[in-house]
Amino acid sequence: MSGARSFGESGPWFGLSRCGERLRRRLRERPTMIRRISERVSGFAKNFPILKSSRFHGESLDSSVSPVLIPGVHVFHCQDAVGIVAKLSDCIAAKGGNILGYDVFVPENNNVFYSRSEFIFDPVKWPRNQVDEDFQTIAQRYGALNSVVRVPSIDPKYKIALLLSKQDHCLVEMLHKWQDGKLPVDITCVISNHERASNTHVMRFLERHGIPYHYVSTTKENKREDDILELVKDTDFLVLARYMQILSGNFLKGYGKDVINIHHGLLPSFKGGYPAKQAFDAGVKLIGATSHFVTEELDSGPIIEQMVESVSHRDNLRSFVQKSEDLEKKCLTKAIKSYCELRVLPYGTNKTVVF
Amino acid sequence: MIRRVSTTSCLSATAFRSFTKWSFKSSQFHGESLDSSVSPLLIPGFHVFHCPDVVGIVAKLSDCIAAKGGNILGYDVFVPENKNVFYSRSEFIFDPVKWPRRQMDEDFQTIAQKFSALSSVVRVPSLDPKYKIALLLSKQDHCLVEMLHKWQDGKLPVDITCVISNHERAPNTHVMRFLQRHGISYHYLPTTDQNKIEEEILELVKGTDFLVLARYMQLLSGNFLKGYGKDVINIHHGLLPSFKGRNPVKQAFDAGVKLIGATTHFVTEELDSGPIIEQMVERVSHRDNLRSFVQKSEDLEKKCLMKAIKSYCELRVLPYGTQRTVVF
Repeated sequence: MSGARSFGESGPWFGLSRCGERLRRRLRERPTMIRRISERVSGFAKNFPILKSSRFHGESLDSSVSPVLIPGVHVFHCQDAVGIVAKLSDCIAAKGGNILGYDVFVPENNNVFYSRSEFIFDPVKWPRNQVDEDFQTIAQRYGALNSVVRVPSIDPKYKIALLLSKQDHCLVEMLHKWQDGKLPVDITCVISNHERASNTHVMRFLERHGIPYHYVSTTKENKREDDILELVKDTDFLVLARYMQILSGNFLKGYGKDVINIHHGLLPSFKGGYPAKQAFDAGVKLIGATSHFVTEELDSGPIIEQMVESVSHRDNLRSFVQKSEDLEKKCLTKAIKSYCELRVLPYGTNKTVVF
Repeated sequence: MIRRVSTTSCLSATAFRSFTKWSFKSSQFHGESLDSSVSPLLIPGFHVFHCPDVVGIVAKLSDCIAAKGGNILGYDVFVPENKNVFYSRSEFIFDPVKWPRRQMDEDFQTIAQKFSALSSVVRVPSLDPKYKIALLLSKQDHCLVEMLHKWQDGKLPVDITCVISNHERAPNTHVMRFLQRHGISYHYLPTTDQNKIEEEILELVKGTDFLVLARYMQLLSGNFLKGYGKDVINIHHGLLPSFKGRNPVKQAFDAGVKLIGATTHFVTEELDSGPIIEQMVERVSHRDNLRSFVQKSEDLEKKCLMKAIKSYCELRVLPYGTQRTVVF
């Protein structure tokens, strides 16, 4: 897999990994996910009283009560320089925040800096919008390519749309995990180019939870991308859970945010359709699944997560498929969780840092 | 490859027959009397069988072993779906007095003929000669060193007849001193774009049972493979079919994969495409640079190659279709 190609414009992912100047221009012209999250958070915090944490319901703000500390996460991606960690940690400490976890990564021969901090803080002492401003100041100082704060108990959940075709095991897994509270997102809608009868498990589930299902039929000539764009325009990212249509560069530019796909093969092996059968015919002894960001080129975007399982001569095609599907579900859930926890960052043209 | 394995098994059978014309060679019998009041020393044997599927094969094979007092300790049978083939591998212990080596060959051969076996191989490790192998490599010798050390430790049950390389090595290097100490010849055969000196290599390896390419970076032609006629095992430091060819580690690094691997496979005319014997992986992340990718790859390569050769020597590897293997 070679590196730079035209997909640089196909989504915020690669926009962010280019030089800071072009990024800042894009940020001003067309908000990326990062900007959007920041804006939403600021807008959200403005509309509510200082504390939104559900733990504060009914509690007095008497200072003799020990404060409830809530978790926050901050990721930072900028050009490398001396003193960044000092500045970031000081910013948190100055407001009484306590850092519980800190990941820093500076690659060899590469003048970039990545960090991810987990901290707890008192939102009385450090109000949500102040958190934004304080980090924004540091971001500007270092010409950051990326600076995102997330306070899970205050910020709205990520809104996602799920796209699929006929196979729905991935969708079902995600719906169940979401129902169990293990997938911290809001599912705005489900879109499929495959019609489903109303008395199926999936449809009943969606109806019960008020999640609309949109049957958007596609043909070779018409991929209905405009219709899909309309349906997903308010989402924070998309998840392709066995959606078998290729999304064009135009769609990706038009959507402008990240799209995550699950491929039931160990990329770059077995791109395209029916990778389980390709693997079976190739006689491999390990099969896998890969979660990755979608780019114009099929099954070629930056990889987020990969998982494998052993297979042998005792496996027939059916068990290859079954093992594949189990891997897919785990791999996709893990990738989405990592993404929501701000663990996934762009690295070079086609790679990711996953803290 | 199927043919080659079959041919190999016939050759092995011939070799065994001529070998067992002498009386038993098991070192366990040195100096012991053959008085029947002494409890017999049982020695292990293996038999693999590959034939078209019918009713009654297991019954016949197990009966053959039991009739001569052999005790089956392990038995693997595999009949794939929708395919009319039968594979089995049995591990048993037997008394070579009651069941002489040559008789064992004949008994299994009878059954092989009855079922028109594509492959029927018996192996008695303590009696039969070790597999003779030649190792080929180019510049990188970590795989060779691993194999030499494992061989020295008795963990690689083979006879290394020679080492062939298209890369010259100074006599005061670890590899050369090791080979000299153990009387293993090293042949420097430089290759060029025009001349892969396959004739010379064929000449050097003609007495071997199989070849191991331990980072041999030249492509062996179809003519060579036909001429040699026996199995050639290669280690590729990538998770095939990803990253075929040169520098698979750099390819993997550039591709941003989160798992890297190694693959051992049989060599065919097509580069890095023969039936796969064994694969292993390890996780990598953004924290890995090219150097650690390479290091992890090399560690995987060594383990993967060793495992595959061990499996092959224990008769665990059988051809399955055109492109796959059964590995018991």
